Amino acid sequence: MSQLRKGTLEYCVLALLDEGQRYGFELVRTLSEADGLMVSEGTIYPLLSRLRRDLLVETSWQESESGPPRRYYHLTDAGRRALADFSDEWTKFRDSVDALLQHKEKGRERER
Amino acid sequence: MNVNADPLVEDYLRHLEAVSSVLPGYRRAELLTEIRAHLDEALRQVPAGDEAAVRSVLERLGSPEEIVAAAADPMPDGQFVPFPVPAPAPETNGLAIASLLFGIFWLGGIGSLAALILGYRARREIRRSAGGQRGSSLATIGIVLGWIGIAALVIAAVAAFFLLAATTTTGPSITSTVAPVPTG
Repeated sequence: MSQLRKGTLEYCVLALLDEGQRYGFELVRTLSEADGLMVSEGTIYPLLSRLRRDLLVETSWQESESGPPRRYYHLTDAGRRALADFSDEWTKFRDSVDALLQHKEKGRERER
Repeated sequence: MNVNADPLVEDYLRHLEAVSSVLPGYRRAELLTEIRAHLDEALRQVPAGDEAAVRSVLERLGSPEEIVAAAADPMPDGQFVPFPVPAPAPETNGLAIASLLFGIFWLGGIGSLAALILGYRARREIRRSAGGQRGSSLATIGIVLGWIGIAALVIAAVAAFFLLAATTTTGPSITSTVAPVPTG
């Protein structure tokens, strides 16, 4: 389960950034508050660093009204493509898993 | 609240700095910058002196070990290997050993010839193995001994030739100078 979570987390990041740029803390808080993702906030920063190295996201420093400048993350074209590919795959994957799980449920009902 | 004002936060950052020293320099610096910025943002919403709230912020962040492990972890489609895989121990090339042995046991020059042939082949094989095989110095010693053996053979042959020539040309004079054994 943790592997599945880890594998999909990066696409959750890309999906959040698809809506618009966000700074680290904002992004991390949103993800950690998402139900069921169960992620330590600190572990998202290495993930962001990896996405930046893979050229799926870019960063820029921007002034904030309160406190020091913030580092904003935004999606690159490659990131947008990776997200689109994943969305397709994910839909198929989810439907297949759902179908199998429902099949199992029905089997159990029949046993009763 | 200032990040550096809280002893709990200070401890946490010191710990993270120590644990993250395994990461490449730039990535470590990037991680530390982001975590500091995160704590800065999170603690701004925490009233000064509220230790429970500070603990909760640190807990949500996760342990330094956990964060550094995530930074060193391979991607799901993983190209990155965090630790170098040990290469198998190189083996000594068999031809190199044979070359050395033939070099030592001259065998009237045949051993030397074999030492040379095997030695050069061994060196070529070792070079091609690119670190997979050892024994290059053994092969070299075999080759040197081989050449010494060949040289010794040539010198011996030349010496024998001259000796033989000397004996045949001076032979009669030697015999003539020897006093004939009285036959009685």
